[in-house]
This record gives sequence, C-alpha cells and structure tokens, in this order.
Amino acid sequence: MADNKKNLTVELNRVEGDLELKLVVEGNRIVDARAVGRMYRGFEQILIGRHARDGLVITPRVCGICSTAHLYAAVTAIETAWQCPIGPNGTRVRNLCLMAEEVQSDARHSFLMFAIDFCNRRYRHHPLYPRIEEAFQVFKGRIYAETIRHTKQLLEIVALFGGQWPHSSYMIPGGVTTVRSRKELIRVQTILDSYLRWYEDSIIGCSSERWLALRTRDDFHAWLDEKQAHRDSAAGLFLRFGREAGLAGLGRGNDRLLSYGAWFEPEEWQPPFRKRPCRRRAGFVNGINGRVEEFVEEKIKEHIEYSWFARQSGSGPPAGNRTIPEFAPNSKRYSWAKAPRYDGQVVEMGALAELVVAGDPLMSSFFREQGATVWLRELARLHRPLLTLNHMREIVRTMLGPDFEQPFYLSPKTVYSGSGRGLIQAARGGLGHWVSFADNRITGYQIISPTTWNASPRDNLDRPGHWETTLINTEIADLENPVEIEHIIRSHDACLVCCVHFLDTGRKLSFGLGPTR
Amino acid sequence: MGDFSLLWLQSAACGGDSMSLLGLENPNLIELLGNQGITLLWHPSLSPERPRQLQTIIDAILADDRHLDLLCIEGAIVNGPEGTGLADVLGGRPKRDLIGELCARAKFVLAMGTCASYGGIPAAPPNPMDVTGMQWRNKEPGGLLAPDWLSRGGLPVINVAGCPAHPLNMAQSIINLLIQGTAMVLDEWNRPQESYNTMVHQGCTRNEYHEYDMEETDFGGRGCLFFNLGCQGPKTSGSCNSSLWNNQKSKPRAGVPCFGCTSPSFPKNKDFFKTDKIGDVPVELPTGVERPNYMAYKGLAKAAAPQRLKDRTTGL
Repeated sequence: MADNKKNLTVELNRVEGDLELKLVVEGNRIVDARAVGRMYRGFEQILIGRHARDGLVITPRVCGICSTAHLYAAVTAIETAWQCPIGPNGTRVRNLCLMAEEVQSDARHSFLMFAIDFCNRRYRHHPLYPRIEEAFQVFKGRIYAETIRHTKQLLEIVALFGGQWPHSSYMIPGGVTTVRSRKELIRVQTILDSYLRWYEDSIIGCSSERWLALRTRDDFHAWLDEKQAHRDSAAGLFLRFGREAGLAGLGRGNDRLLSYGAWFEPEEWQPPFRKRPCRRRAGFVNGINGRVEEFVEEKIKEHIEYSWFARQSGSGPPAGNRTIPEFAPNSKRYSWAKAPRYDGQVVEMGALAELVVAGDPLMSSFFREQGATVWLRELARLHRPLLTLNHMREIVRTMLGPDFEQPFYLSPKTVYSGSGRGLIQAARGGLGHWVSFADNRITGYQIISPTTWNASPRDNLDRPGHWETTLINTEIADLENPVEIEHIIRSHDACLVCCVHFLDTGRKLSFGLGPTR
Repeated sequence: MGDFSLLWLQSAACGGDSMSLLGLENPNLIELLGNQGITLLWHPSLSPERPRQLQTIIDAILADDRHLDLLCIEGAIVNGPEGTGLADVLGGRPKRDLIGELCARAKFVLAMGTCASYGGIPAAPPNPMDVTGMQWRNKEPGGLLAPDWLSRGGLPVINVAGCPAHPLNMAQSIINLLIQGTAMVLDEWNRPQESYNTMVHQGCTRNEYHEYDMEETDFGGRGCLFFNLGCQGPKTSGSCNSSLWNNQKSKPRAGVPCFGCTSPSFPKNKDFFKTDKIGDVPVELPTGVERPNYMAYKGLAKAAAPQRLKDRTTGL
C-alpha cells in the first residue's frame, strides 16, 4: 500500500445494531470502503420446518423497529401462496398500523438519531449552534423530548389494533384479528389530530396545507424566507443548518432508486395478486434524469460472491435461494449479507426513493437538480409524515363512514403447499419475504430488508454496495472526528439487525478511530 | 443527578427492548434516566458519543477506575460460529467475552428481554449460532454464566423476561435496584417477583368467556382463544393485562393469542396458533389446575353460560 494511504476503522452506534466501516483514505479522501456489520442470528434457518403461520410470530422479532413491516410482509407472503381473499377493512387496519410505524420512525430518525450529530464539536462555532443544542441535544433538547412524547402516542394506534408495539401478530391470512369497533377508530382520529397539531406547531411552523403546497425547490426556499416561524421551526432549523453544514453535497450514490410501492388498495389487493395496486406506486428510477420504470419483481437477484454463505445457498432470484451460513475466515468474503441487485444494478432504498418513484413533486424537483444526497434524504423524512398523516385521516374517515361494515377478516381456505412473496414498503425502504411451503410446513424462507440493499457488500462483478459507493470519494475534514461518515450512513437510517450480518475478517490494520486489535 | 451508573449493551438483539423502553409512561424514559439518580454511561441507540468512548468507559470499569452499578444486557449471547463467538463482535472481540468481564465488575446485572434471559428466538432449533441467555439456556440453568454465579451485589442475573420486555417491568426493575438493592425478590426463573406474579390471563377482557367455556375456533371473534387458537395466557406469568401495552391493550385484548413470551420455553416448538388437545380439552391446562376438576367444571360452566356471552354481545 502506498505511503499516503491509511486504513481507517469507524464504528457507528445510533444505528439499529452495530456497524463498522473499513475505509482506506488517501490524504483526507476515502478511496475504498467496506461496510462491516457484526451479528448473525439465523432467522431464516429457524423458520424451516415450522407451521406456515409461525412466520407471523417469528419474523416481527427480526427487528424491534420495523416489527409491523415484517408482520405485513410475512402475512402477504402467506396470502399470495394461499391465494386467499382479504377483508378490505383488514387491509385498511394493516395500512394504518404500517403508516403509524412509519410516521413515528421518521420523527425518531430525524430527531433521536440524526440531529444529534449537529451537536458535534465540529459545529460549535456555527452561529446556529446554541439553537441546535437547545432543540436537539440528547435528553435535554426541546424537540428531542417532544419527539419521545409524541411518537410514543402514535404507536398507540398499532396497540389499539394489535395489542402492543413492538412485536405483535394481529395480521393473519385473510385480514386482522381486530373486533370491529368505532371506539378504536375514534381514538385513532384523536391521536392523529394531536400528532398533526404538534407537527404543525413545533416541526414545520405552519399548517400542513401550507407545507404541502410546496412543489418545487423554489417554493421551498420561498417558504423559508416567508416567515420567521418557518425558519425557526425544527424543520427550518434542521434544514438550514444541514445545508450550511454541506449535507446537500454529501453522500450521493448512483441515483438509482427503487420502491416496491406503499399501501395496497383494500378493494383491489386480492387474488390472484398479479398487479400491485399501491397508493404510492412502485417503480425504479434509473439515474437523475431517468424516468420512472415499471417495477418488475423478477429483476431482484441476490449475489453471494463476498458473503459468508455456502455456494449451494444460491445466487439469483431470492425465491430459489436458501440461507446456509458458511464461516470462512481469511477469504475475500467479508459479509453475512447477500448482495441484492435490481436489474443488475446497485440501488438505493428509503423515503426519498419511495417519494421520487411515487412522483412527489417537491422531492422530484430537488432530485432532478441535485440527485440523492444526505440533505435530500433528510428532507424526505421530514416531508413524508405530512403525506402519510393525510392518508391515515382519510382511511379513518372512510372506515367510520361507508366502509364500516366491510369485513376485517375472511377466514381462509388453507392450501397446504405452494410459494408466495410479501413485498411491502417499510419506513426505511422495500422489505421482501419469500416463502415456500410443503404440507403446511415452511420449506424455504428468504428475507431481504431495506438495509441489505443499502449496506450490501460487493457483488459477483465486484461492484461496491450502495453505502460503499456513497462513501468512496468523500472528503473527511478531520479524520479524528469523521462526522461526514456518520451523516452519510445515518441518512439511510441504517438498521443492521434486520439482516445485514457482516463479519469482520480482522485482517486489516485499524487506524485512528475504533479500538485497535 | 446521583451516581447509580448504568451501562446498556446489545448482543444478538433486535432492539425491541430498547424500543419498548421508549414507550415508557410514568415515568417516561427521560424522567427515568434524568430524575432517578441514574447516570447513563452508555446506551447504543441513545448515547451521542461514539463507540470509541464506550471502549474508554469499559476500560475504566475493567480497571476498577469506574464503578458499575447496573449492567443491562439486551439480546442473546452468541457462541457461534463453531464456538468462536465471532458472529457478534465489538471492537474485534466476541461480545460474549466482553459481557462476561463486565459482569464480574457489575453490582447488578439485568437481562432485558427473553433473548438475554433464556436465549429466546435465536435459540430456537436449530439454534444456528449456538446462543444462550445470560444465566440460562432455555429452561436449563447455566448460560454465559454458571448457575451459581452471583454479581457483586449478591444477586444472580435478574431476568426481565418478555419479547419484548414490558417497559414498566424494565423501569421497575431498575428503580427497585436503585432503591432496594439486594432486597429484590426473584421467582423460580429469576424474574423479579413483583413484575411476574400475575398471569397474562388475569385482567384479560376475554376472561369471562373462558370462565364459561365460550371458546373461539377462528380469529376475529370476542371469545376465549385458549382452547383452540394457541393462547397461553392462563399458563404464562406476565403483566400484559394488568399493565397494558402502549397505554392501550394487550395481545389477547386485540384478539391475538398470548405466545408465552415471558417463559424460558419461548418460542414453543409447536404451532403458535393451535392448541393441542385430548378430546375437547387442551393438553396443557391453566397453571395449577387438576384435569378431572377442570373437565367437570368446564361442562357445567358451558351449560351455565350467560346468553350475552353465547351471543357475543359483550363489547371488549
């Protein structure tokens, strides 16, 4: 290795699970990057041989943050295998719960995980720093404390239908276990009203109608200039500071964005499940000027060239693959994760991808001008809740009105063999479960979570995964305080526990950050 | 601020216990950590510092330069692959080893959730990474630590079981240790007795249906889930129906069977949504019940059932 190159190990907390990044820097520029996670549990192996429905209990426990999303993917996988009709109100309840999980996740991401890094000593001389601390400091910040209080209440929506959050199993093939009641729906409405009021008062400093009128980049800047209340709101402060901290020029990947589409339409999402009738459409954006292409499930393939899996685990479409770990130290492999690719390409998942694919005007306007960056991913997390809360209010209105009598559950006629897939949109991006059954027992289970896409290792053509791509060529101002790296990775709301199970080979020399070994 | 120091580590975890704790009410999490005399040394999701600072804290504890009152572990302990512990490492070392060393210094150790207590879901067959709980391996004493191991404060690992652990059970355990220390009373599975001395069945809104043997055979109804749909509420110690979740409900109240997640045998190795029966009666009866008495009582109770239960007109 040339003299001016150094190996750098950066460990990250405040991501779900543990993450270690193995970097090579030349001067202050990252010239190579490997994402190294450090934990493997083997959920897919545990599911083999269990009853078809047991995935509804096991898979929510993959992730304490996205347990509702895993449950939804698991139940969808069974339903597409069994070809059973779904009570339309069952889908409405599922959507409401998934949306509640998403909206709380957006706020917790922004204000409990990401904004903390604005309090880094790097920024202490910035004129806005005292106000950043006042709002976002851990435990003491005003917005930090408010976020804990309000997101907690939002999760009551999941508990009203599912009994608890996290980790419940109320979505069952054919619908949900919930007993029809207006009482729960009215409670949901009051929770939504209360959350929206907080969001308007504290987070955006204006009415949701005013915010949702923003359709272009220019609209957004006009909004910032319009009132002190806008500039001083949590979002105003966060976005102004983020721009001045250079986040709009940081963490750009290859601008390939993928979304499975969010929220099945209750009446149309029924057997034979050939189309995906989604409120937020599915699709693929092939680069900054690319149009939105139709999403084709069959274009998802997994590679295991750099992963700790036995060759017979298989490459190719996930439905045919298996998870057979094979620990092989001192090889080129460095990851417990497979490397998923869409149409052979490295893609980015998340809120920004979801909204650009869905054609959201504000997000699309910014994306066309500057591509996917840290700043824009954060704007997406602040913007998305307003869209989602609107849909939630609409669902509650129709359920309290004309749809009240529609079924919440249709008892399925079980089919004992077959295969299915559940592809849904979790807070962090597309989540897929692929399952096969024989005699009502699980014979194969494959999960690809959003973070697997973002944090994937190299593939069989040696192409770095998405995070690795975004890190390479990044300039780090201070190698002893590499806050740029933390901004980049956290802008994807990294969730390592889901299925990113890398393992360190221990062969590279650590330098600077992180403990030496 | 007092100086009851608390260090929280995650091993093979899903983060669900930490997420559960964010839902804490009265006190909320900020009040718990800020106003109870607790100094939070580290939590992986809440600490602003980097893992490098964690290493500094750990080094100081291991050198006895910093006292550690309470070590909280979330997640199962990983021994795989092939006995190396390398499927869960921190700073290049198996977390198993690090946690073992910290336990030797801690005054008290809390296992937060069923994974840390007994192994939980990652320990289900085939237990791919050879995981255990802190001081138990499912129902067998002995895990990372030997069965007779005691912390410096004189207690074994305290198991705040549940998948996830209920936030109030976690908070009460922390506060109890802060206030009472070694006076904390544990049950046969080393769970804090106060938090686990009710059955999930007690306080269940479907309880009256069980009383009169009005049992559901399918989901979506108001009746009891015990006879047919796999509910383990009458056999499970837990506070789900006495301290509700998220201020609202419990799984059985929402029509979801109790899966017995506070038990060392969770997850059971039979179908979750089905009750094994002999004739019309479940193989496993409510804890403490005699089969002949129960069968006689059930026959009578069904005959005596109020019409409002038969008609399912009772709201939940």
